[in-house]
Amino acid sequence: MDFIESFKQNFIENDRWTYLTDGLKTTLFITFFSVIIGMVLGFIVAVIRSTYLRTGKLLIPDLLCRLYLTVIRGTPVVVQLLIIYFVIFASVPISKTLVAVIAFGINSGAYVAEIVRGGIMAVDNGQLEAGRSLGLDYRQTMISIVLPQAFRTVLPALANECIVLLKETSVAGYIAIADLTKGGDIIRSQTFSAFLPLIAVAVIYLVMVVVLTKLVSILERRLAANDKR
Amino acid sequence: MINVKGLKKSFGKLEVLKGIDENIKKGEKVVIIGPSGSGKSTFLRCLNLLETPTAGEIYFDGKEITHLHDREINLMRRRMGMVFQHFNLFPHLSIRKNITLAPVKLGIMSQAEADKKAAELLERVGLPDKANDYPARLSGGQKQRIAIARALAMNPEVMLFDEPTSALDPEMVGEVLELMKQLAADGMTMVVVTHEMGFAREVASRVIFMSDGYVVEQNTPDKFFTSPENQRLKDFLSKVL
Repeated sequence: MDFIESFKQNFIENDRWTYLTDGLKTTLFITFFSVIIGMVLGFIVAVIRSTYLRTGKLLIPDLLCRLYLTVIRGTPVVVQLLIIYFVIFASVPISKTLVAVIAFGINSGAYVAEIVRGGIMAVDNGQLEAGRSLGLDYRQTMISIVLPQAFRTVLPALANECIVLLKETSVAGYIAIADLTKGGDIIRSQTFSAFLPLIAVAVIYLVMVVVLTKLVSILERRLAANDKR
Repeated sequence: MINVKGLKKSFGKLEVLKGIDENIKKGEKVVIIGPSGSGKSTFLRCLNLLETPTAGEIYFDGKEITHLHDREINLMRRRMGMVFQHFNLFPHLSIRKNITLAPVKLGIMSQAEADKKAAELLERVGLPDKANDYPARLSGGQKQRIAIARALAMNPEVMLFDEPTSALDPEMVGEVLELMKQLAADGMTMVVVTHEMGFAREVASRVIFMSDGYVVEQNTPDKFFTSPENQRLKDFLSKVL
């Protein structure tokens, strides 16, 4: 069978290409919303952790955060996904995609937290002292002075975390979600040819990652230029 | 205005302040000198509770402040401006924003009022055209003058200076000291930790010598520099003068 015939069979016949486009939509949907959950969760955990490290306050929340970080970073994301779907939401009627969003969001939050905490700790303590000496409270100083500076520092690392997450969602098929990867796999199972569908899937991921990485490096250059203003 | 009784501060096993008693009156310009490690900066930072004293009492306008709640500490800090050795300007904010952030966030002024105040202060510190610049564009001396303006925006009753010229290139020390002299002439109560003996001699109403966690000697600048009594002060002055 030549290439063109194989291409037709895998993508054109029975509109099989829609497995890939629908899968891509699902992948992007899951990535987008889990990034949002991950960022929110990560920032909260990072603020709690750094507050504890700097002031000794929030010991109990800090312990909970450390437990969360240890468990999430110490277990594979697939296992987390399976547990959340088959154990935690076992008897709850909830869409699989939503489960995936929650699972990947919680997973990503742990990595975001450590990135952001690094950024917060990298802000000179004098900044905090200057804010406090003016009469601002800890929260105001954190929000107006420390976090904006930390955010600028970690923005490229956060963007990279989004890229990683995009690839990690490829295990969503474990709970039978028809994401991009699963889409390619479905085509393979129907046509019994592995090469084209899987390579197509790989190429789509690669193009997205390359484009996003390029955007991150432009962002990094912009930030560096801004610092010289 | 500020009364300190038996003030002690330890960092772990290291005792930095070993019992300080001090009274700072309204309008006084107190200059604290001493060798590094003598506890002068720690003493200054205890006054607005950037460091929490290990023991002792601090009264500000008759009110004991070391056991206040956070909220009251914040209110107390509004009345004490602080200037740091390394300026600690906010690099992500324009000069105007640096000056107006605290009064606006704390609800003391509207943004418009604060902007007006910032313009006045910038005029006063001699940098009226820098409002829209960012700190990275300024020289060290300019940064420190902005830091002083930022502290003044809160209309403080006391200004604490923690080695305000130590991080500056020599040619920029003058402009900052000049501004501090102006401030002193306007009647501001000032507590200044510094190595600038000329400033102490000229501006101080009282000079304090700290060594090894104690106030060893204090006097009017005249007597302090011409007839020091303590041997350690004599040694110190012989090295720095």
